[in-house]
Amino acid sequence: MEIEVKDISKKYGNLQVLRNFNIKLEEKRISAILGPSGCGKTTLLNIISGLEKYDSGSIIGIENKKFSYIFQEDRLLPWSSVEENIHFVLKKDYKDQEIINITDKYLKIVGLEEYRHYYPNQLSGGMKQRVAIARAFAYPSDILLMDEPFKGLDMELKKNLIEAFISLWKKDKRTVIFVTHDMDEAMRLADYIFILGGKPLAIKEKVVTNAKK
Amino acid sequence: MKSFITWKNNKTFKAWVIVFWTLVWGIVSLLINKEIYLPSPISTLKAFTQLIIVVEFWKSIFMSVFRVMFGFIISCVLGISIGIVCGLNRLFYELFNPLIISIKSTPVISFIIIALIWFESDNVPIFICFLMCFPVIWTNVVEGIRNVDNNLLEMAHVYNVKRYMIIKKIYIPSVIPYISAAITMALGLGWKVTVAAEVLSSPKYSIGKHLYDAKVYLEAPAVFAWTGVIIILSFGFEFLFKYIFKKLKL
Repeated sequence: MEIEVKDISKKYGNLQVLRNFNIKLEEKRISAILGPSGCGKTTLLNIISGLEKYDSGSIIGIENKKFSYIFQEDRLLPWSSVEENIHFVLKKDYKDQEIINITDKYLKIVGLEEYRHYYPNQLSGGMKQRVAIARAFAYPSDILLMDEPFKGLDMELKKNLIEAFISLWKKDKRTVIFVTHDMDEAMRLADYIFILGGKPLAIKEKVVTNAKK
Repeated sequence: MKSFITWKNNKTFKAWVIVFWTLVWGIVSLLINKEIYLPSPISTLKAFTQLIIVVEFWKSIFMSVFRVMFGFIISCVLGISIGIVCGLNRLFYELFNPLIISIKSTPVISFIIIALIWFESDNVPIFICFLMCFPVIWTNVVEGIRNVDNNLLEMAHVYNVKRYMIIKKIYIPSVIPYISAAITMALGLGWKVTVAAEVLSSPKYSIGKHLYDAKVYLEAPAVFAWTGVIIILSFGFEFLFKYIFKKLKL
């Protein structure tokens, strides 16, 4: 089922971030939301994920759905090892042996199985973000949200991570909502690109790409 | 020429600092020349050697250590558990905060006097130690909980992690550095107030009672020697706990 955001409004004090904002996102596709910094993209993502409340409107298609979220920062538990970080999000849904198998599977895909016992401070920024990606895929989510996950990484690393992401996604297609301000990233990853802009925020253009095919 | 930085960190240099102040102490006591006001380091040491050969000395130390530890452990258990609840829950925080503030701003001597009415002399120092250490630990734990990284909490929320797992894997590890700081602080405080309470409540075996007796009989060297014992014990325990934290990598 597609996700339909209908007439969502959100205000922070006097700042109207979203006013009657509408967007439809297709199931099992990667939709990129492209727009300038500070336009309200992250707010939109946080509203869809339930991290933030909205003032009015409705969202259809997210009832009883599970979310994964790849944040701008890795958001790993600094005192837990790579594998413990993934176990952390799986404890509720799986038995012990399943947790170990799933963790192994996804760490292998992102190429970090040898680093399972490492702690985040022993890893580079790119490796930490790969752990965060593995965590997002390991979690049995229906919808995967990404908020500029490749920001601040160098070109080579970004390319590797995008490839890792695409190979993961092809094996396990989920609805992905991907927020970025980088057209190049959006072109490489997404099936659809929504270009946002203006005040109040609205969709200016919807682009269909065929990057991954 | 050795730079200041190298010999500042040197252990022999630190020993010389101690020697220097002991000399100052010796010279001042020579100038005053009245043992009753300021005993010399030598007579203090003599008093100390006379103390340690008596069984009662060790019994008293054992009992005082026991009181400090007992009061301290209760403060840790209650301070950490109530602190976590108050850090997580606004209502409990508002309920406990005025109580903690009142305890903190009441002079310890008032509590000792009240405790003398309420408890047996053996238990007064334990109660006082608890009363002084508990707010320190509680405050640090609440502070630690409040400073938990909100980004991690958001992450756990999106991934629908159970509350007890959030407490175990996010709150507790975040609070541990605050707890170890609080424990070191509370321990030093615990020693001082326990001995103060012992001076007034005079349990049979206690450092405080001996300190008081030495004062009554105008044995200044013994007062100094007992004070030295308290300092050594306080340092010793602080060192021990820091060592344990280091071993446990807290």
